[in-house]
Amino acid sequence: MSTASAAYLARRAAQKERVRILYRRALKDTLNWAVHRHLFYQDASNLRERFDANKDVEDINIIDKLIADGEASYNKWRHPDPYIVPWAPGGSKFTRNPTPPSGIEIIYNYGREDND
Amino acid sequence: MAAAAAARATVLKHLRVAVAGGSLHGGQRGFPWLLANSLRRFSEEVRGSFLDKSEVTDRVVSVVKNFQKVDPSKVTPEAHFQNDLGLDSLDTVEVVIALEEEFGFEIPDNEADKITNIKMAVDFIASHPQAK
Repeated sequence: MSTASAAYLARRAAQKERVRILYRRALKDTLNWAVHRHLFYQDASNLRERFDANKDVEDINIIDKLIADGEASYNKWRHPDPYIVPWAPGGSKFTRNPTPPSGIEIIYNYGREDND
Repeated sequence: MAAAAAARATVLKHLRVAVAGGSLHGGQRGFPWLLANSLRRFSEEVRGSFLDKSEVTDRVVSVVKNFQKVDPSKVTPEAHFQNDLGLDSLDTVEVVIALEEEFGFEIPDNEADKITNIKMAVDFIASHPQAK
């Protein structure tokens, strides 16, 4: 049936990574959509059951199709205004106050003139 | 006049890049060290500060212990999520998201995939300047 060739294993590993990233994004999206925390817990467990229902599928092509379906439904349900941590890329504080390049020194003499 | 200049100096001082540490502060102005230390903290808020590693480990371990699917007695600072604690790969994702919420910062997706045991999580958090 499924020979443990390197290509097959590499493909399965790539699929597992896609599934993990998809689950991560879907969970964060659920957190964005759920206003109250108890709603989030409910929705998160529903999401987890949806992922777990397909846990034992072995056929690679079916797995690919399921992942594609999952990503399509994730793209459909993406929140328009997600919560991004302020200093992360896309947040409001991102590169707000970048550190100045090293070696630059500002000398404050307040316009003091040396001609007295 | 001197008081106004001193006030301006203290306000503007936080813009100064801490190049050589003490030599600039003490030599040029002779400000009291108390003032300089408080201003140094203000400017570090911009750059962020690294958290203490033992404190990070304690908080990470407490977060993992509060996880429902984990046996609290098995959690040690050297535990691997999937091998030692018997978690699924999706559970690992959930734990990483819980750590992000605890420390209040964001991990990019490709980095989050690589965190598989507590030690790596502690290293990542301790080396991230904005981890609160």
